[in-house]
Formats: sequence, C-alpha cells, structure tokens
Amino acid sequence: MDAVVVEGLAKRYGSLQAVRGVSFRVRRGEVFALLGPNGAGKTTTVEILEGFRERDGGRVEVLGQDPRSRERAFRARLGIVLQELAVEPMLTVREAVARNAGYYPNPRPVDEVIELVGLRDKAGTRVKLLSGGQQRRLDVALGIVGRPELLFLDEPTTGFDPSARRDAWELVRSLSDGGTTIILTTHYMDEAEALADRVAVIASGAIVAEGPPASLGGRDVGEARIRFRLPPGSPAPELRGVAVRVEDGLVEVATDEEVAVLHELTGWSLEHHVELVGLTVERLTLEDVYLRLTATAPEVEASR
Amino acid sequence: MRLAGVRRDLRLVARQVYYEQLAFWRNPFGAIFTIGFSVIFLLLLASSASARLRQIGDIRAVQYYVPGFAAYGVMSACFNTLAVNLVGRRETGLLKRLRLSPLPTWALLAGIFCNLILISALQVALLLMIGHFAYGALLPRNVGAFVLALAAGVVCFSALGVAVSSLLPNQEAAGPIIGIVYFVLLFLSGLWFYLPPRSGLARVADYFPVRHFLLAVQAPFEFQAKVSPWSFGDLAALLVWGAAATAVALRRFRWEPRHH
Repeated sequence: MDAVVVEGLAKRYGSLQAVRGVSFRVRRGEVFALLGPNGAGKTTTVEILEGFRERDGGRVEVLGQDPRSRERAFRARLGIVLQELAVEPMLTVREAVARNAGYYPNPRPVDEVIELVGLRDKAGTRVKLLSGGQQRRLDVALGIVGRPELLFLDEPTTGFDPSARRDAWELVRSLSDGGTTIILTTHYMDEAEALADRVAVIASGAIVAEGPPASLGGRDVGEARIRFRLPPGSPAPELRGVAVRVEDGLVEVATDEEVAVLHELTGWSLEHHVELVGLTVERLTLEDVYLRLTATAPEVEASR
Repeated sequence: MRLAGVRRDLRLVARQVYYEQLAFWRNPFGAIFTIGFSVIFLLLLASSASARLRQIGDIRAVQYYVPGFAAYGVMSACFNTLAVNLVGRRETGLLKRLRLSPLPTWALLAGIFCNLILISALQVALLLMIGHFAYGALLPRNVGAFVLALAAGVVCFSALGVAVSSLLPNQEAAGPIIGIVYFVLLFLSGLWFYLPPRSGLARVADYFPVRHFLLAVQAPFEFQAKVSPWSFGDLAALLVWGAAATAVALRRFRWEPRHH
C-alpha cells in the first residue's frame, strides 16, 4: 500500500492558484523529495498532506486516511520537521522533547532522541540559548520523538555546516532503514541525490518531472559534457561535427556520443602532445535538469 | 475504557499546565508584569499615610484597593499577558508547531486557561493576605459571590485576550497597543480613584468591561450594607463582553505567523 496518494490536488489563495492538479504517490518506506523554487507550491502541498491546510480539490490519502479529518490518532503517526517554527524558549532541550513525547502513544525515550540528534551536551540548556544549527537538531528531535510512520522534513539541513549535514543525512538514512517513510523538501540537489529514492519537481503549482534522481528528466541518457583545461598557449582542438567552447583555457564539449568524441580528443592530444588537464565526462547534473525544468515556469509570488 | 481515556486526557492537560507554569516563571518580565505589579501597586498605595486614613466613598482606601487590585491581577494575567503571549507564540511559529502536533486544540487551550486561573488565584490570595494582615482590610464577606465574580472575569478577559491577539499584527505592536488600551480603561474605570456612579466618566466606563469587573469584585466585600454582594448586572455585562470577544476570536484566530 502507498503511504501517500495525491490525485489532482488543487489549492487557491484568493486569485492565486497555488497548486493546480498535483498528483503523485509515495510508497511505504520510500524517501521522496519534492523540489521546486520558493512559491512553487511545495509547502502548500506538504501542509495539505499534514492536515494543516484545507484543499480546494483533488483526492489525498495519507497513511490510508484523509488528512482533513485531523484525527488525533492519525496525527500521532506523522512526524513533522519544519524550519522557522519556534520552540518554547524558556524550556530546556530535555523539557521540550519530553513535553512533545507526551503527545504520542508510544514515544521514543527522551534521552535516546536527544542523543540521536547529537544534543546530549545541550540537554539541560534552555532552547533560547541554542545556536541556529542546534535549534534545527531540536526540530528534528521533536519530529521523530513520536516514532512516526511518515516523516515530513522541510529543508532539514539549511544552515548546517558540511559535517552536520553528513550527520543529518546519516540520521535520515537510518530512519529510512528503520522503515520510516520520508517526504523531503529541499533546495540542495546533492541532498536530494544522496537521500531520495524518487524526486518530483514542482513549478508554478504543477509537477513538471518525477522519477529517481539518477534518471530525472532523462539525464541518464541525454547529452554528456566533456570538460578539460588546455595548457597556456596550446591551440584548441578541432573536432568534427561538435561545438567546442573555450573560455579562459577551459574547454567544454557537449555531445550525445561521448565515446566517439573522447576517442578523437585523446588521439588529438597524443598527436599534438597537448595535455588534457583535469579531463572529466559528466552527464547533466541534477541541478542542470532542475534549472531547465524550473526555468520555463514563471516565478510565482510566495504562496504561503 | 472511557475512564482510561478521561484519565489520559487529564494527565495531558496537567502536563500542559506544568510546562506553561515552567515557561511563565522562567520569564522574569512576564512574572513581574503580571504578578509583581498588582502587589507593588497595592503596597505603594496602601503604605502612603493618606491611604490609611483617607476614605474612598464610604470606606477606607485600603479596603477599596484590595478588591480593585485583585481584579487588576486577574485582568493582567487573562487579558494583558495572554494577548501579548499569544501574539508572540503565533508570530514565532509556536502555535503552528502545536497545531501540527497531535496535541488536541482543546488540550492546548485547557492548559493555557488553567495556567491563567492558577496565576490569577495566586495573585488574589497574595493581595487578600497582604491587605488583611498588613493593613487590616476585611476579607470578602460572601466568598461565593467573590469567586463567581473572579470566574466571570477570567472568562471574559481571557476571551478578550484571545480576541485582541487575533487582531494584532505583530509582537512589536502588541505590547504598546495592549498596554495603552488596558491602562486607559483601568484609569477610566476607577481602579486608582473612586468614581461616583452616574458621573460622566462612569457613564463612559460603563460601556467597557473593566468597571463592571471592578464593581462585581468589590460587591462581595459588602462595604455598604445596602449593596448586594451579588452584582448581577455587572456579571451580565462581563458575559456579554465575553461572548462578543469569543465570537471575534472564533472568526479571526490564526495559527500561523502573519508574515507568511
């Protein structure tokens, strides 16, 4: 059974159609990433799934229920990690986690959760004295304390330093390994690529592409880019039927037939004794695909 | 089965009250503005020589101030502190976070209101004791009427606190706006000085709930033999204001910050 089923979801704010016919499914145990520019409708979509916002049209099923009911037992099966939502500033980390633990029928032990997000040293510190990164960890702790079956992560690593990000990713992976279904929204393409089984790109209130990150938008079969540097003073190579772009000694070749082009290129290199410094062959990155998909969509006013 | 559910719900509310209390007492400004002010006002006014000797209306000044500041304490907690607090919680996203958690709305509200009742009761007890033991003020003769008047005030001013919070855009505006409205009404309503009934000022103040609350809390002390301890007219006015405020709160209450 699918954890989430969304069909033809629609939501309007005044004259702005924020979500227009969004459909997708999230399988149980899957990590599903929603990508899209600010105001594209991701937050609205997620908030409707969470039961926070009413929809205007379409069918939504979350863990087999309509989130509109806002049933207490249903909400106890969800975990929600949102940014920019305060926690009672005068409580300590442990008190804040313990308070929320009391809202769930079968919570994780409070100290275990604090340990899991790496806040053990701060357990007795008041929330208002935490740094930004520590507050985000607390957000995560509050999101997972109830042993959620479905976890919503809204830009969970924004503002993290690289090692904190790796820690957060490890945590997400271990939750996923434990069977938790995860819906992730993020601006970081590497994050989606590292964590998500499938991604959907949403732009102007509609889904413009969906699939595993490795093949999104046909990036696994499309054109490749060959890049290298030329030593100073070397002439640019002449290649048959392929456009060669040279900028400040950096050469970039875009082609569908990278094997043939590489063959020719390496032959030219040996023949002319010109080194191809830092030679790489790359498919489109997820970011390239994302920017292409979202560039055509006009920017929509922030819709929250 | 049902009993177990009730017990679980009661425990949930008790926990909410516990954490509300923690947050309240750890915020020195909130605690001082709410509880400290009523006590300090009473001490200052009652300690001045004139207050000991002077009469307000037919009664000793101290006897006038004790119920007045008991009412003030309830209003500060239920209206002023609640409204500022709710705006702050809404704008920082605290309310939205709670809305997204499985905590039922009724349990959140029950926790908040029980917390206000505790704070109000503590203040009233403090003021009665200080008035009685330090300045010889009489305790209410009719405790039932006194408690009923306080309860009506809690209901009315909590509803007003929620309603006003739903109308204010942000934290920066909330403190000053609420403070000005509140103190002007307190002044008009005769908290600090005796306001003869049917005077021009009293007629204006009668349109607002503060004076009715002061009168309803003073009545059970029975300063004048001819005054009934049950001030039903004033209690009715409080309920009307409370009902109107509830209607506004139900229409306008928001869980999310405005800037989103």
